[in-house]
Amino acid sequence: MNGTANQNNNHPDEITLLMYVERQLDRDRAQDVSRHTQTCERCLILLRALDRESRLLTRSMLEEDEPLPARLAEFHAKVKRSMQWIWGVVFATALLGVYLLYAGYIEPWQRQFEQAGFDGTNLLSLFVFQSAFWKGWQSMFSLVEIVAMASFAGFGLFLIRRYLKRGSALAVVFATMGLLMATANPAAASEFRKGESVQIHKDEVINSDLFAMGDQIKINGTVDGDFFGFGQNVEVSGHVTGDIICFCRSLRVDGQVDGNVRDFSNNVTILGTVGRNVTSFADLSTVESAGKIGHTLMTFSNNLIVDGSVGRDFLGFFGNATIDGSIGGEFRAKGRTLSIGSNASIGGKATYEGDKPAEVSSSAKLSSPLQFTKTQHRSQLQRGPGYYIWRIIWAGAWILLGLVLIGLMPRFAVETVEAAERYGAALGLGVLVFFGVGIAAVIACITIVGLLLGISTFFLWIVSLFASYVVAGAVVGRWILGKAEEHWPLIGRMVLGVVIVVVCTGLPYIGGWIRFAVWIWGMGAIAIAVYRRVQPIIAPNIPSMPGGPVGTPLPPTTTVSPA
Amino acid sequence: MEPLTPGHLRVPGKTEPTDLIAQARAGDTQAWGDLYREFAPAIFRFCRRALPSKEDAEDATMEIFMKLREKLGQYDTSRSFTAWLYKVAANHCWDALRRRKARHDKDMEDVDELPLEAPEPNQLERLIEERTSEEVRKALDKLGARARMALVMRYYSDMSYDEIADALGVRRPFVGVVLLRARHELRQALGENSPLAVGGAR
Repeated sequence: MNGTANQNNNHPDEITLLMYVERQLDRDRAQDVSRHTQTCERCLILLRALDRESRLLTRSMLEEDEPLPARLAEFHAKVKRSMQWIWGVVFATALLGVYLLYAGYIEPWQRQFEQAGFDGTNLLSLFVFQSAFWKGWQSMFSLVEIVAMASFAGFGLFLIRRYLKRGSALAVVFATMGLLMATANPAAASEFRKGESVQIHKDEVINSDLFAMGDQIKINGTVDGDFFGFGQNVEVSGHVTGDIICFCRSLRVDGQVDGNVRDFSNNVTILGTVGRNVTSFADLSTVESAGKIGHTLMTFSNNLIVDGSVGRDFLGFFGNATIDGSIGGEFRAKGRTLSIGSNASIGGKATYEGDKPAEVSSSAKLSSPLQFTKTQHRSQLQRGPGYYIWRIIWAGAWILLGLVLIGLMPRFAVETVEAAERYGAALGLGVLVFFGVGIAAVIACITIVGLLLGISTFFLWIVSLFASYVVAGAVVGRWILGKAEEHWPLIGRMVLGVVIVVVCTGLPYIGGWIRFAVWIWGMGAIAIAVYRRVQPIIAPNIPSMPGGPVGTPLPPTTTVSPA
Repeated sequence: MEPLTPGHLRVPGKTEPTDLIAQARAGDTQAWGDLYREFAPAIFRFCRRALPSKEDAEDATMEIFMKLREKLGQYDTSRSFTAWLYKVAANHCWDALRRRKARHDKDMEDVDELPLEAPEPNQLERLIEERTSEEVRKALDKLGARARMALVMRYYSDMSYDEIADALGVRRPFVGVVLLRARHELRQALGENSPLAVGGAR
């Protein structure tokens, strides 16, 4: 053993004295030290100092300067098992929620759309599964796919990294990516055109999907597939056998489209023939007199003119609309003003909700009189009893949700409330979660990462949105009644707080802003609590309670032989 | 003043809850729960002293007890339960620290090669007189992981040199050097910005 000096004059070195204090010397050496310290005052002082140092260390270590944290009050493996059980319940509830959502909303809409003649397809098909709406995005946004996939793989790895060694974690990531690659539908052969001006000449035939980007895009020839246009002005005077999906300033369809037209533009004009449906989100949507839409027209436009023909139904949300063409099926509209001209004909039931009754020409051919409903514009200060009844129902719902959450996850509830009291962090992270998770869910939906994951993420986002009221309520309750971590006191505070939050969010003018603040605050707190569950934050050292000075005798772990 | 002990452990004259241990080993969840409540405060405090943050200590405590429950069948009932408990806790904390690479480079230095200067006895006396337990705990945070771990094992859980050597993976004769070096580091941390700084020169 070495490491020390001070062997002059045969003084034992510091480590020898320390080991003597700690009773780690053999008998002979211990006796040597004992004899030496009887005659050497310097070594005796050092020996005593070392002993006092040992006592100081023991005292410092053993002092109960902070209580056992609440989350450790009970054996955690038990909680973990409970948590696993809860996740099962949550998953089952989520499935039930999805089913109820489908049964309660989507299916009735689907039936309505089917009755409205929307090509016999259901709503999900219309928008998501079978529709050309999403088709082609996969190949167009391969970069987005990779980024999204990497993000989700990273997120998954982040969640499970505590349970995986590095090698196996990498294997999981690569296996998952491989699986996704293998199971993803291979993108169909596609033609890409990019330039200031992109033109498909009259005699040119594209025997695949076409993706075109440019200021001016003209399709004079034939696209035997879908056409995806991204540009300033897009003109289709040729023939597209599939669908048109267009993001542009102006879209003009002169030619023939056998499939659907989905358009997001400033203005869209249909002069030619669209075999199936047209969906437009535009400032100005026009179906010229020569324009023909085989099936349905669904439009969200500021200004709308329909002089041409729509084979089946019409569904429109608009500012001002003029209908002077023919609608083969049902007519449903909501807008500010509507004018139905003399050349108009509507084959099915016609309903309109607006600020004032539609101007209907006496020459217009309607199978039944247009049913008008006046749009109710109610001031925030003019709330009917229904509003307050619904507020009460919502308050009850949130309190019930709070009871369930606190009952199922008492520790997590306390941690979440504590996280919410870190106002800056909770609000900051809340903004990120509020916007970021929604975007992530959309990315998941539109890429091969998967619709299921996207919908699940969105569902969790919704749940945390609702739970944010409970979190905010619990904190507000603690402001008023003081802190409590026990079950019923916490519930009492939550109930009081939720009532206050509901009242505040219902205030005229500022209520909406308060609601938004509650959302991001609560979501941020939940995110922090979840994060701390999966990965504790390396927090700065927490100052402990002051201890007393050295001097009070302690049961020594070591003793010093009398000098 | 009531003697300070790590939780309920090592109180003179108090025996270990052997019945409870036996019941827990037999799979009695109630007994395990009681055992947990009996020892969790001590183990949490051990982790709190050894690890850099409260959150780390909380997590480590939970993980240690999960490990303990799994390994309870392997516990040799002829030996001290508390000693076994601390051995598992020490190994877990030290592994956690190593995994996190929380140690400073100096921890990797060979303990043989750095000579220590013996303190001036009176100066050391004064330093100890002046410092409170709280200051010592704060100073612990400034220590390298090995120094801190060694002090915690020795002065919190009263582990033997053999047990410390086993946990830290050093040879038994070097445990004294590790402890002495830890004390020097501690004195330096306690004496920072103070004329009371003693020893610890390297």
